[in-house]
Amino acid sequence: MKSLLCLFTVSSFAALAFGLWIPFKALIAQELLELAWAESQARQQQVRPWPWADTWPVARLNFAEPQQSMIVLDGAHGESLAFGPGQVFGDGGRAGPTVIAGHRDTHFKSLEHLKRGSRLRLQDRDGQWRSFRVSATRVVDSRHQLINTDALPEDALLLVTCYPFDGLESRGPLRYVVEAVATSSGYPSVVES
Amino acid sequence: MLRTYSLSMPAHRQSKRTTLLDRRRVRRIMEGVSLWLAMLLLLFVQPIFAEANEREQGVGQLRFVDNQGRATESATLINTDYQVDVTGLIADVHLKQTFRNPSQNWREAVFVFPLSEGASVYGLTMTAGERRIVGEIREKAVAKKEYAKAKSEGRKAARVEQQRPNLFTTHLANIPPGEAIVVELDYQQAVRYQSGLFELRLPTTMTPRYMPGKPLNQNPFAGPRQWQGGWATPTGEVPDADKISPFTVRRSDLQPDSHNATVVMNINAGLPVSRVSSPSHKLNSTWNGHSVEVTPEQTTIPMDRDMVVRWAPARGMAPSAAVFQEQWQGEDYLMAMMIPGLESEQRIARELVFVIDTSGSMAGESIRQARQSLMRGLGTLGPDDTFNVIQFNSQTASLFMGSVPANGNNLARAHRYVRNLTADGGTEMAPALDAALQDHRVETVAGNQRLRQVVFITDGSVGNEAALFRQIRQQLGDTRLFTVGIGSAPNMHFMREAARYGRGTYTAISSTSDVKRPLDELFGKMESPVLTDIQVDWPQSGANQNAQPRRIGDLFLGEPMVQVVRGHQPNGRLTMSGRLPDGSQWTETLNLENAALGSGLHRVWAREQIDGLLAARTLGQSKGEESETTVQAQVTALGLEHQLITPYTSFLAVDKTPARPAESALTSDSVPTLLPAGSSAGMLRYPQTATWAPLMQALGLLGLMISGAIGLLRRRVFV
Repeated sequence: MKSLLCLFTVSSFAALAFGLWIPFKALIAQELLELAWAESQARQQQVRPWPWADTWPVARLNFAEPQQSMIVLDGAHGESLAFGPGQVFGDGGRAGPTVIAGHRDTHFKSLEHLKRGSRLRLQDRDGQWRSFRVSATRVVDSRHQLINTDALPEDALLLVTCYPFDGLESRGPLRYVVEAVATSSGYPSVVES
Repeated sequence: MLRTYSLSMPAHRQSKRTTLLDRRRVRRIMEGVSLWLAMLLLLFVQPIFAEANEREQGVGQLRFVDNQGRATESATLINTDYQVDVTGLIADVHLKQTFRNPSQNWREAVFVFPLSEGASVYGLTMTAGERRIVGEIREKAVAKKEYAKAKSEGRKAARVEQQRPNLFTTHLANIPPGEAIVVELDYQQAVRYQSGLFELRLPTTMTPRYMPGKPLNQNPFAGPRQWQGGWATPTGEVPDADKISPFTVRRSDLQPDSHNATVVMNINAGLPVSRVSSPSHKLNSTWNGHSVEVTPEQTTIPMDRDMVVRWAPARGMAPSAAVFQEQWQGEDYLMAMMIPGLESEQRIARELVFVIDTSGSMAGESIRQARQSLMRGLGTLGPDDTFNVIQFNSQTASLFMGSVPANGNNLARAHRYVRNLTADGGTEMAPALDAALQDHRVETVAGNQRLRQVVFITDGSVGNEAALFRQIRQQLGDTRLFTVGIGSAPNMHFMREAARYGRGTYTAISSTSDVKRPLDELFGKMESPVLTDIQVDWPQSGANQNAQPRRIGDLFLGEPMVQVVRGHQPNGRLTMSGRLPDGSQWTETLNLENAALGSGLHRVWAREQIDGLLAARTLGQSKGEESETTVQAQVTALGLEHQLITPYTSFLAVDKTPARPAESALTSDSVPTLLPAGSSAGMLRYPQTATWAPLMQALGLLGLMISGAIGLLRRRVFV
């Protein structure tokens, strides 16, 4: 009986540790990605954040309110979303529509607070910033809705994360989509000040 | 996981050590810990409740979501049963679609489904419980109006209409909650016979089609999005895009008892059949004299790929000609098939252009098949030949500037290029056709003009077929276009018609294990002589006017000439003539007196007649408003006379008595189709964007709290 209780306690600890390890990893990885991003900006080429990584930083994403900055990785395949949001479609924030997906439990948790009119910006490898303004947020069902990338306007930025934000199921079908359009000015005034 | 264990080990040791410590202290510590745990747990309980409210639904059930993210009703279930009877060259299919409404509301189901290219639908029955209503053919607009009326009055109604020659839609109104309605369709299609093999294809799903052109709803941020009901919005080039693109879902997204099909097939070929095979499914065949009963080995097959069945006549029994006759409404119909016995001769110097589709819809198994096909094609090049490889998705790119000689160096480069092809992007076919058909110079080798052949490898998942056919016809010149259909559900209508306009042939590949045979056959055909300028003379005077198809394309090795004629008695001799590549004349005759009895010939005739009228309209041969309406009138008349679904006529079955009480609402439900097996989704799918973190944290905390509580209780009890 005692050993059973022991086992139960241990496995509970294990689950908790695993659960805490994911956000911890997400936090640490972003630090490493900062270095890789700086290097790729300096050398103007793809830099892998660690030798065995299957992805590399392609852009930096900034939210104005709440203030948050993160490095966007290439693709949302494999485990890359655990380290940072991934660009599933687009050209490193340079031109054309961009679609970025991130985990709702880590990097994209703050998507919840983005509202219509919220500002965000995207930096490409050349250091150029593009500013966006949130035009709409909506919830979609990933099982019967797809992103029609051909129908996206040139200046669109789509941020995708899981929904509901406080959900427990990791394979749920719902997605929260934040649609943003590029604004003409280079820097949004809020971030500037 | 490794990390997790190493972290948890100290905890384990600690818990053992605590038993040695002073009991009172232990108790205090445990109480403190459990208090904290309780606090932490409280933070997590709320989301758990929120979650529980959201999803008390079953696993893997397709549900609909309103724009607030609330899941609504579960989707309508669809199952189909095919009863196929093959007589000679015609397959008669009884298709039963069972729509089950598992929800609490009255439903309207909208189901877009494919049929074989050239299928003529001639019957509709709707069965709801005991009631059985036989459908009638109506003009499309009339059917639509009557259906809408029945729908609003709460009467059960079914309407089947044609979107494309191989794409149909069933509308079924007022399915009672928890009940099923069966829609039965009768259609017939021609069996393909070539190179001594009969082939029948039953499509069960469709590859999502690419819709070129700008969306008609220009600013998607301005108005409400059209994404509900299908992923495609109408575009400038495909105005009915939303009507031909149902949701494509994965099998795992659906309940296991939906999207299943059963197939029972009876082959009565009229001659001994030696073997039945299928590249797509495992089959059980039972011989019964001359007829064979064929069923798939699995009782139910998922509707995620075309079912292809091939049968071969016994050795030495391969027919080289056949005649069937039928009397329908006092008119005689005759169908004749002839296979010219062509013999291959010396090689001709050729210029081969391979065009390969690397669009997103080709991702997965399809691009592997395409690469294999292309490699095989490269292997058939002779030393005198020249070649080029063109790939297209949103952009078109060619390997060489122009065609280059097929020497070792160039072939090695091509092989390397082909190996590295990946599928991504849109399907902009028009520029690729431009590159393959238009931009070239005429070459001569030793006085003879080099034979120019284009091999087009694609899944044909485009919505703007008509524009492409027009382009092929305009740009073709002396080139021949051969299409190779790829994937488990290619658009066979596109393959056949593109090849017809391109004066070539079409081939379909079903799986990577099925690449060799059909391609060897195709490349064999491309090397062998072609019978051109084919003339068919029916003995009775004036009968030639009533023969369909009016214009017979060129015939390649092993290909039959098939024509149906109206108002012709089965007597006299049919003469067929053509020109061989060396300019000599070729003639063969066929005695019509030994015609066997067939059925449904008049529908084949009507269908061919309709196809001919529509093709002429597509190509813009008939100009102006007036001829547009004439074509419509002619096609409508044919559809009504022969009871066929056409672009202008639909089937309609309406119940007389209202079933739905006026106060209950009716919701409309687009029934999805399965993503074809082996293909990756063409459109961008939403990625998985959640982790196990919250669940694990909650579980861990809950577990710790429980174990803490048990520990405390045990101490209380035993102290």
